[in-house]
Amino acid sequence: MSQPPALSQYSGSAQTMLDLVFIAFIGYILLLGLRRPFLWVLLYVYIDILAPQRIGYSLITQVPVSLIAFGAAFCGWLLLDRKEGARFSLRQGLMLALLLYCWWTLQGAVYVEEASTKWDWVWKAFLFAIFLPLTVTTRARIEALALTLVLSVATIVIGTGMKTVLGGGGYENLKFFVNDNSGIYESSTLATVAIALIPVILWFTRYGTIFRPHWMVTAFACALIFASLLIPVGTEARTGLLCIAALGVLALRYTQRRILFIACAGLLGLIALPFLPQSYYDRMATIAQPGGDESASTRMQVWEWTIDYASEHPFGGGFDSYRANSFTYVMPVREEAGNTTTVEYREVTDEARAFHSAIFELLGEQGYPGLMIWLFLHGLGVWQMERLYRRWRGRIEEGEAWIAPLAGALQIASLIYLVGACFQGIAYQPVMLMIVGLQIGLYSYVTRLESARREIEQEVTLSPGEKRRRERAAQIAGQSGQSATDTDAVTA
Amino acid sequence: MREMIDYISLAIGHGLLAFALFKLVMREDLDVDPAIQTLKDKAEAEREASSVAGRNARRRQQAQSEPAPGAQPVQR
Repeated sequence: MSQPPALSQYSGSAQTMLDLVFIAFIGYILLLGLRRPFLWVLLYVYIDILAPQRIGYSLITQVPVSLIAFGAAFCGWLLLDRKEGARFSLRQGLMLALLLYCWWTLQGAVYVEEASTKWDWVWKAFLFAIFLPLTVTTRARIEALALTLVLSVATIVIGTGMKTVLGGGGYENLKFFVNDNSGIYESSTLATVAIALIPVILWFTRYGTIFRPHWMVTAFACALIFASLLIPVGTEARTGLLCIAALGVLALRYTQRRILFIACAGLLGLIALPFLPQSYYDRMATIAQPGGDESASTRMQVWEWTIDYASEHPFGGGFDSYRANSFTYVMPVREEAGNTTTVEYREVTDEARAFHSAIFELLGEQGYPGLMIWLFLHGLGVWQMERLYRRWRGRIEEGEAWIAPLAGALQIASLIYLVGACFQGIAYQPVMLMIVGLQIGLYSYVTRLESARREIEQEVTLSPGEKRRRERAAQIAGQSGQSATDTDAVTA
Repeated sequence: MREMIDYISLAIGHGLLAFALFKLVMREDLDVDPAIQTLKDKAEAEREASSVAGRNARRRQQAQSEPAPGAQPVQR
């Protein structure tokens, strides 16, 4: 299916103007970054999510903005950053292992050209996700990254929500800034990410320090959450509906008045029903009847095929290995003629059907080892956020109160992503990998906080005898170091 | 209409991002975390205070500030 070019929807002068605005904005952040190089990391996050070079038409498409931003972010960190607290964590190691494994499967990929195309963006997404936690070392940086993620996604969500309210929605009809189904500009992916970020948006209404809690912040957050909930409506992405359901269930844990919450959610749902278009009902009805929809019924076939494929290729077939599949099956085809609807069973042959699930995507492409690493990566994230939440909940001091709610929000984000990932091939989704980076940054930061506290407690509780022993040991170590240096000097 | 909505959403997103980043540039705590720094300083102070060298330094300081026993106050 041919897609319209990125922004042919805008008029000529508007396109040039838009390009200039994007370039000015990028230049502005590059300039600000001269004082605080961490802003270049945020610039890359913004460019990677929103892809202004693909929204723009002429000038900006000629400039390698993504490369410039990554170069600035990396060099800024390497040469100008304090790097205090930067540590390489287990989850970064898992991402590195998965990246190297993907490279290894690429060497034996069945579909070399297609695999190389996918590898081109996957390695960049992984590399940045591995690098990101090294830069996120302070509370302000954690918040700044979360805010950049939210606002970059919000830029797409606001427009999509407004179009949906004004009646421009519909599956494969809703126009984004970029209409090539790539990255976050794919309707189900956008729905999943938008729903996953709702708890983070709520966090900003209470604990934000860049935009302090204020009625205007709350009003904007409410509007943004409403727009995010409209994404599955506007795009008619069924996965989005499942993500909303998952959000509702997960939110119960953090709600004090659960009965009231359930009643309000039910009431809101009932109020929303009359405003939903008929096409939405028709599409959502296919969730329960997968046999009546080609996209859903082939999913089951592809998943079965993938399990068989993985038993033959336990180490995976490389990127895009789904292209090897082909199914012939009989499915009902409805035809309406006047007032009569006839259902005819026809034989349909499908070839190269995508995995439609991150789990099967990994199983087919990277085999069992790749799937295990990926599951461990995300499972560990959920566990780490749970650990932080339990340890830091109930704190009321300003410097500590923000930790547990953010950990809870990021845990929900992970779980919603995992729900969405069961039905979409979004295993290497860059935005989600950035959320993983944010989780790692938060976990490392809190670990440092805890270790600094432990150090003080040890100092206070250590007996004078133990302190003397420690000092003596330090003195001896210092003297032996000194004598070793002296010996070296004499030998030289 | 669709074009107008796109411009509005781009303006809102970029406007808020530009403002947020401008506010961040002004913040010292973007690069040095005050909570961790305070804890580190506190640990260092505790260590210094309880070490033998620290105790000796404190004694010396006390001895200098207090007059020696039997010493006559200086008449001016």
